[in-house]
Amino acid sequence: MTTLVFARDRRDSLLAGALPRFVAAGWVLFLGLPIAALLVRAATVGRFDDAAAGRAVLDALVLSLVTTATSLGLAVLFGLPVAWLLARRPPRGAVLLETLIDLPIVLPPSVAGLALLFVFGRQGVLGGPLAAMGLSIPFSTIAVIIAQTFVAAPFFIRAARAGLRSVHRDLEDAARVDGGGEVAVALFVTLPLAAPALAAGLVMAWARALGEFGATIMFAGNFEGRTQTLPLLVYSEFQASSDAAVVAASILVVAAFGVLLGVRLARRGSVTELGGTG
Amino acid sequence: MSVLVAASALLVAGCGHAAPATTLTVLAAASLRDAFRAAGTAYASTHPGVALTFSFDASSALRAQVEQGAPVDVFASADVANPDQLVNAGRTIGPATPFAGNALALIVPAANPAGIAAPADLARPGVALLTASANVPIAIYAMRVIANLAAEPGAPAGFAAAVERNTVSREDNAAAVVAKVVLGEADAAFVYATDARAAGAAVRSIPLPDRVNVTAAYAAVVARQAHDPAAAAAFVAWLAGADGRSVLAPFGFAPPP
Repeated sequence: MTTLVFARDRRDSLLAGALPRFVAAGWVLFLGLPIAALLVRAATVGRFDDAAAGRAVLDALVLSLVTTATSLGLAVLFGLPVAWLLARRPPRGAVLLETLIDLPIVLPPSVAGLALLFVFGRQGVLGGPLAAMGLSIPFSTIAVIIAQTFVAAPFFIRAARAGLRSVHRDLEDAARVDGGGEVAVALFVTLPLAAPALAAGLVMAWARALGEFGATIMFAGNFEGRTQTLPLLVYSEFQASSDAAVVAASILVVAAFGVLLGVRLARRGSVTELGGTG
Repeated sequence: MSVLVAASALLVAGCGHAAPATTLTVLAAASLRDAFRAAGTAYASTHPGVALTFSFDASSALRAQVEQGAPVDVFASADVANPDQLVNAGRTIGPATPFAGNALALIVPAANPAGIAAPADLARPGVALLTASANVPIAIYAMRVIANLAAEPGAPAGFAAAVERNTVSREDNAAAVVAKVVLGEADAAFVYATDARAAGAAVRSIPLPDRVNVTAAYAAVVARQAHDPAAAAAFVAWLAGADGRSVLAPFGFAPPP
C-alpha cells in the first residue's frame, strides 16, 4: 500500500515538475536556436560596408517604422469605437460582425493582398474611381499602410473588446452617481481600467504590422524607400545572396524582442503598482 | 474489423499503381511554368519510372535554394549566369546545359490605360512600370533592352533614368510582373515573349525592333545534392534534345542561342 502511494507520488512529481521542465527546455531550444543562429550569422558578417545595401536597410527600417506607426494610429482611430460598440452596445448580428472583424487574423496574408487589390487596385471597386481622380493606390506607401492596417487592426480590436468588456459596470455607475458624464466616465474610468488590455492589443497589432509580408508584396509591391519594408527587404536581399538580408533580419528580431520585453516589464511595473495601492 | 479490411484493401489498391521508381525535384524559372508542366507530362509518359515535381520562382531565388542545400535534382534557369555560378562553386554535377532561348516583349494591359504606342512612351512622366528585383534574370534582360533603346538614334534624352523613375515595383519574379500587368495595376512591363503570348488577349504587345531586343538563354544543371544524378542528367539531356525542344516550341521557346 505504502509503495503504491509512494509510486504515485513519484509519478505525480515527475508529471508536475521534471517532465514539463524537460519539454520546456526542448521548446526553448526550438525557438532559441534559429534566433541565435541568425544573430551569430549577423555578428560574423563583419563590417557591413556595402553602402547601397546599407542604405536599402536604413530606408526599409524607416519605412517600416513610419508605416507601422501610421497603421497603429488607424487601428486605434477606427478600432476603438468598433471595440466599444461590440463590448457595450452590441448591435443585432454582433456575432457575424465579430467573426468578420476576426477574419483577417485567420486569412493567409496573400489572400488579404489579393482581396485588397480587387478593392483598391486600379480596376478595383474603390481604386477604379480613385485612379480616375489621379490617385493610384497600388505600389504606394498608402498601400503598405492599408495592408498593415487590414491584417493588424483585428488584433487590437479583439484585445480592446475583451478589455472593455471586463471593466465592471458598477465602477462606471459609481462614477455616474458622482456626476460624471458619459464622456468623462469613458475617459477617466473605463479606458484607464481597460488600459492594460488596450496596450497588449497595441503590441500584438504592431508586431503583426511589422512582420507583414504577403499582403504587402501582393498589393503594395516591392520598391526601395516606397513599399519595401524590412520583411520584404529580407526576402529580396536573400535572393541576391546579400548580407543585407541577415542584417535586416537581425534588426527585426532585436526590435521585436525589445518591444515585447519592454511592454512586459512596463506592465509588470503597473501591476505591482496596483497591487501596492490596493 | 471491417475497417481493417477496408484499410488493407486500400493499401493493396495503392500498391497496385506502378509507383515511379524515382521522383526528380526540378526547380525552374517562373517563365517555364506552363512549358515545364507539359514537359513533365510528356516525360512521364515516355519514362514510366520517373516522376517530376516542380517548383517555380525567380531563377536567382532558386539558385539561392540550391546553394542552401535544398533537396534538388535539376535547376533550370532563365539565364546562364545563375547555373554557371553554381558550376563555378562546385555545387553541380557537370556543366550547365543550354536548352532554350527566349526574347523579350513590351506588354501593356489590354485597355492600355497610359496610351503607350511605342517604347519611347515609357519615359513619359506618370507611366507606372513594373520590373522584377534587380538580380532576377527578367530585370537584367529588361535593363539591357532599355539601354539599347536609350542608345537608339532619336531616343529621348535621359530615357533610361526616366524609365527607372517610372518603375513602381520590383516584383519577385517574371510571372508576378505579368500577373500585375494582366490585372491592369501597372501601365507596362518588359516580360518574356513566351509570357506575353500566354497572357493572350489580356495584354497587348508593343512592337520592339529586333535590333534592341535581347536573347535570353535558358540553361539547366544537375545539382550536386541530386539523389539520382543519372536520372537527373537524363532529364536534362532530354530537355536539350529534340524531344524537349518539340515540347517547349509550342509555348514559343526557341532553340538555345
